[in-house]
This record gives sequence, C-alpha cells and structure tokens, in this order.
Amino acid sequence: MTCADCLENLGPFIDGELPVVEAALVESHLKSCQDCAAAHRRLVETSSQVKGALTRYRAPDVLKARIRASLADAGTEALSQPVLMATPRGRVWPRIVAAAAAVAIVSSALTFASLNRSPSADPLQQEVLNSHIRSLMPGHLTDVASNDQHNVKPWFNGRVDVSPAVPRLDSIGFPLLGGRLDYVEGRNVAAVVYGRRQHMINVFSWPAAAQGDLAPAVSSANGYNFIRARRNGVEVWIVSDLNLRELEDFAERFREASAR
Amino acid sequence: MAEQGVTRFEQVVLPHLDDAYTLACYLLRDQHDAQDAVQESVLRALRYFEGFRGEDARAWLLAIVRNYCYSWKKGSKSDQGAVPFADDKAVDIADEHAADDLAIQSSESDRVRAAVDRLPAELKEVIVLRELNELSYREISEVVGVPMGTVMSRLSRARERLAAALGADSRKAS
Repeated sequence: MTCADCLENLGPFIDGELPVVEAALVESHLKSCQDCAAAHRRLVETSSQVKGALTRYRAPDVLKARIRASLADAGTEALSQPVLMATPRGRVWPRIVAAAAAVAIVSSALTFASLNRSPSADPLQQEVLNSHIRSLMPGHLTDVASNDQHNVKPWFNGRVDVSPAVPRLDSIGFPLLGGRLDYVEGRNVAAVVYGRRQHMINVFSWPAAAQGDLAPAVSSANGYNFIRARRNGVEVWIVSDLNLRELEDFAERFREASAR
Repeated sequence: MAEQGVTRFEQVVLPHLDDAYTLACYLLRDQHDAQDAVQESVLRALRYFEGFRGEDARAWLLAIVRNYCYSWKKGSKSDQGAVPFADDKAVDIADEHAADDLAIQSSESDRVRAAVDRLPAELKEVIVLRELNELSYREISEVVGVPMGTVMSRLSRARERLAAALGADSRKAS
C-alpha cells in the first residue's frame, strides 16, 4: 500500500467503514510508516475532540409532549382527509383513521352528553373544559410559546386584568410551554400552559368576582381533572387529563412557587 | 385512542427524537427553532409514513429534519450569521481572523464547538451526522442525498479543516 492510498483510506479506517482486507492493509502500513501513523493519530484526535466537545442533545419533555399532542391531533385530522385512505399500502393509515373515527364518535358522544347535561352540572367547569380542549387543537395551545417565565409573564400585561403566576417548574417535571389569551364566562382570561410527559396542563386565572379565599376543590368530567381555588382575589382553574394525584401535586407546587 | 392508532408510527419514529433534535440544534443553532423544526418534521414524517419502506427509520427521519431545517433557513430573514450552504469560500476557519475569535473561547470544548460551527453547512452536517449521530457512511449518504464517495470526501475535508483550526489555535495559545 502506498502512502497516498493509506491517507485516502484513513477516514473510512477510523470510522470502521473499510472492508476487513483493506483495513488490515492500512493497519500494517501504519506500523511501518511514521508519517502515515502521525496523520492517523492526528485524525483520531480530531475525531475524538469533536465527539467529546459536541453535545448530544436530548429532546426536551416539552417537545415530546408537543409532538404527542400533535400526533393525536393528526390522527383526528386524518378522518377529515379520506384521500389518505385511498392508497392502502401500509396498515397504519386505516388504523389511524379507525382510531380517529373512534375518537370522533366518542368525543361527539361526549359533546352530545354534555350539551344534554342537566342544568345542575357546573357550566363554568364546562366552559373551562371547552377552552382546555380547544387549546389542544393544532396551533391553539399557546400565543406566546416559551419555557422562560420572563417571556411569558410580561406578555399578559395589558391583555388581561390579572397578572398570572408563571412559576418555573421544569425541575420537578412540569415544563412551562407558554401562555395564551383565552375566553371564559364572557371575559378574557390568562391561560398558562405546562406539560407533563404527553399531557398538557392549562392554568386559567382571572379576577374573582366574589370575596374571600376558597380552598382547592377537585372535580372531574369527561376524563379530565379540575382543581379550582380562589386566592387573593384571583380565580384559578387547573385542568388536565393528567391523573389526579400528579395534578394535585402540580397544583400544590404551583401554589407554593407562586406564593414565593 | 388516536394514540393507539399512531402506535406503529410512534414505535418506529419517536425513538429517534434525540437524534433529530441534536441535528436540528446544530443546523439551526437555536434550541427553540430546533424544537419547532423537529415537531414539524415529525408531522411531515407522519404524512410520508406510508412511503416509508421500513429500512432505516433514523436516517429517514433525519433526512426529513435536514430538509426542513434548510428550507427553514432559506425562509428565515434573521439568519445573517449562518454560513451559506455549500459555499466553500465563505468561511475559512484556518484564517487568522477566525483563529483570533477562537482564541477568545475559554475552554477546549468551546473552541471545538466554535470550529465546527464555522464549517460550511455541507461539511458541518456530515461531521454532526458522523460524530454525534454516529451514522454509517451509507446512512449519511441517505440523509444528505449524495453518493457515499462524496460523504467520504466531505468528512475528510471537514476533519482537515477542524484539525487545522484547532492545531493553529493551540499553537497560538502556547
């Protein structure tokens, strides 16, 4: 093997891309040629310097949550795009469409049920739930998407009559996703959005009409959990499909962090 | 329920989110943009999933991410700092000026990162795909859409430049 051949093959050699026979030739050449051996060392060092210095990023939980949410939405959208079913090459589309159909049927049944609900059901809870579900549709989750409370909190200035609490809770697994202006009971309300794995948590707040604080109260409907409270003249509703235990944990941490 | 429906897609594609995010971070140099790019790419992947032959899901997803990132950069106006794609003359990391900049970087790994960042896009992407994503030449050729011989020569040029930049820099520092 000539030096030129050797140098040309050094990259594939250190990357393990050379066939065994050629790799053996390079190896024996490196033993006998100091110049090529030096070039080899230099290449290995550069490669390991780069490997060592560059960061392999982990996709953040926020991103995973957003992706799962948008995949769920995409499954629902597939229902309204029958063209996707026209080419039944893979098995996945029929399954997505079938699943989406099931979702659509169930959710319209739920909508139907909620529309026909007796007047004793809490209309405010229903409104909050509707806002929560609407927020999960593509492009509706946040008006200001940021995991930085210093971007989210000021964004609400002048948009709502309340300065919502926007504590950072990433360290305990509830990444901040952003904020949104929403509409409940005929008024603008602040919605601050957190994630938990693939679940979204909306924290709605608006100025309380009534006096006095109310301790957190828990309720659930349609598979969603609600925690409501009134503190310091602000009504706060926390809504999510997250299990109640974790949602209560979130509510507690949120309250603690906001009080600071 | 919809989640069950996209189960196969999730099983095939979602294990590669870290790789996708890493590539997007390096191509776009902004973690927020990278998040958006990965999310959009996954949705694109879902749309194209039917055409996926089940060979190498990682390379397939990374190719979508890469294309998305480049079309994003093309459309972005606030991207003056970025190195034009495939423009070899644009940045010569071994030149004196760049070496001065590099010397300001405090730590060794900062210098390496800066040097990688100064590579032209066509060289930077093969370095990231090889050294970080640890793709084979064959997979890189799939992602980038060039023959394996081209992957090999770009990788070699990229490493030469990095070695020159880092070597020049450490000589300067000593």
